Amino acid sequence: MSKNVILSTRGLRKTYGRGDSRFEALRGINLEIIEGESVAIIGKSGSGKSTLMHLLALLDKPTKGNIALDGENTSKLRQSKLNKLRNKKFGFVFQSFFMNANDSVLNNVMLPLKIAGLGARARRRKAMHALRIVGLDDKAKNKANDLSGGQKQRVCIARAIVNDPEIIFADEPTGNLDSATGEKIINILFRLNREKGITLIIVTHDPELAAKCDRQIRISDGHLASEPSKTPPTQLPPTYYEHNSGDTDADGMLDIMEEQA
Amino acid sequence: MKIFDIIKDANQNLLRNKLRTFLTILAIFIGSFSIISTSAIQAGVNDFIDSQVDSYGGDGYLAIVSQDSFDALEGLQGNMGNNNSPTEYNPEKIQTGMSPITDEQLQKVKQIDGIDADSVVEQKSLSISYVSSDKTEQKYLLSAEALPPGNIKVDLEAGKQLDLRADEYQILLESRYADALGYTTDNIIDQQIHLVVVDEYTQKEKSFDATVVGVIAPGVVSMGQQYVNNKLADDIYAENTKYYPEAVKSQTFALAANYDYEKYSADDIKKSLTEIGLSAMTIQDIIGQIKTFFDVILTVFKLFGFIALLAAAIGIINTLFMSVQERTREIGLDKALGMSSGHVFLSFSLEAIALGFWGSVFGIIVSVIIGNLVNAAFHADGSFLAAFPTFNLVSYTIPDILSVMLLIIVIAFLAGTLPARKAAHKNPIDALRYE
Repeated sequence: MSKNVILSTRGLRKTYGRGDSRFEALRGINLEIIEGESVAIIGKSGSGKSTLMHLLALLDKPTKGNIALDGENTSKLRQSKLNKLRNKKFGFVFQSFFMNANDSVLNNVMLPLKIAGLGARARRRKAMHALRIVGLDDKAKNKANDLSGGQKQRVCIARAIVNDPEIIFADEPTGNLDSATGEKIINILFRLNREKGITLIIVTHDPELAAKCDRQIRISDGHLASEPSKTPPTQLPPTYYEHNSGDTDADGMLDIMEEQA
Repeated sequence: MKIFDIIKDANQNLLRNKLRTFLTILAIFIGSFSIISTSAIQAGVNDFIDSQVDSYGGDGYLAIVSQDSFDALEGLQGNMGNNNSPTEYNPEKIQTGMSPITDEQLQKVKQIDGIDADSVVEQKSLSISYVSSDKTEQKYLLSAEALPPGNIKVDLEAGKQLDLRADEYQILLESRYADALGYTTDNIIDQQIHLVVVDEYTQKEKSFDATVVGVIAPGVVSMGQQYVNNKLADDIYAENTKYYPEAVKSQTFALAANYDYEKYSADDIKKSLTEIGLSAMTIQDIIGQIKTFFDVILTVFKLFGFIALLAAAIGIINTLFMSVQERTREIGLDKALGMSSGHVFLSFSLEAIALGFWGSVFGIIVSVIIGNLVNAAFHADGSFLAAFPTFNLVSYTIPDILSVMLLIIVIAFLAGTLPARKAAHKNPIDALRYE
């Protein structure tokens, strides 16, 4: 198992507004994220954890400091290069799913590939593969709006992994789901983390979800509130995923993943 | 992202709110229909006038009379409602209203820069007693004149143009003469007809046997006039004036000439002619009034079309702004997933262009269908264009259609740039914020 630093920040600051309305969301964050680990970013509302995730995901530019991806400083990269990096290396899972509700499930999953400029056949093949991983290949032709909340989030995960990303950013992935469904989603994410080595960066309020990650990064008033835990990803209990085996859907999904592994 | 995908998405996005898209396209349709229809009518009328202009003399043609004749004519005619006072009698100048052009003036005309000396000819009025053929006993009155010089194409239904320098006698006839003389429009070509001049004193008839080389399409400018070549005109004139004293025989009241219209302006030529006491009219002066009349009306219609198009452009802006608003999160998501601002801009611009494209296509299709129905209706027996088979009131040309489409698409694109810019500048984080 490699221990390469995939993402690192130095003196990361983000300030919104000017003068009296000036607000410092982040006040100097230094952190490192190792390839293949799962990290929870936790903190109260307004603590700056979402801002941190946006910066890490290269969706926004820091006011000061810099972010290195695979050791390369991203502050000097051109916008087009950043767009490409996000498209190829990152996957996003959002609390409110963000799908094109009237489009088919398949089209939603294919979106990152379409943006990447892939041909129609390759798009279809990769998207069907991703849908099989989340156990929704039979719903490919359905309208996205006709799915349940849990299914929608699984479609979003399929969309996040369709381009074989190195990192998945998940912003409150279970926030809009009941606990049983949320559990299922978390299982899928950690399964991907374990089996495909995808780095997970999860912003969450949920202490249970946070506890399942290799380590927690607590943000408070724009500062890092706790030292990163020293637990390397390899020391996670391997039986971790078997805690939630009550769900048939998730089981089916796991079988498929095993077949493909 | 592939351009094909962007185009496909743009069209699909338009179908999301079908009613709104339909209404926007309808607005563009109205503008495009008005503009292409007026263009087509203008083209049709201009085609017709141009063919008439050619039958009269074409570009570069000058009809020259003496300044005195021209002034007298203005006074006599009141110049078509311009309320000119009647011309005062001047015994030193003229007595009958037309004063002849002197030999000296004729020589000077030939020396004016820009006027082709070889083209200057005296316009002689020919007097023909009747026309007959071998096919019928009937005899008919006929008025003919020599075709003016220059590169003239008479609007023909059949046959070919006159050979002005031919040694044989040639004539262009209207089809009504073909029918009256026992032929049809097609089979009269290359047949001989007889132009007869009756001697006023001896009552002896002299016949000029002329070959019919072409049949003139009915028109407004040449109406009632048949055309003969120079040889025939000269010989008929000689017969008409054989009893006249030499002084009268050589009198000229009108000249026809050609000037180099590519290098010289009509105004310069007219100024040179005024200096030697002559007055000239170009074909544009003669025909110009008809053309101006149509142009004014059609320009007004076209203006309405543009106003409709302007309203449609605002409709496009409005439609797309709403669309940007509705799709804020979607745009944010696209950008978060790596779509560039340029592609977002392109995608909305293409929606605007698609609106313009479909609006203009429907406008053009409907206009062409209606235009052809109108043409057919006006050419039906008894309708007012039945007498003018070569005249299409509505005439569509590929360049016209393409330029109207291009114009509308450019306007649609320009209208789309505002909303497209707004969309392109959206921050991807907007999509990630909780509601």
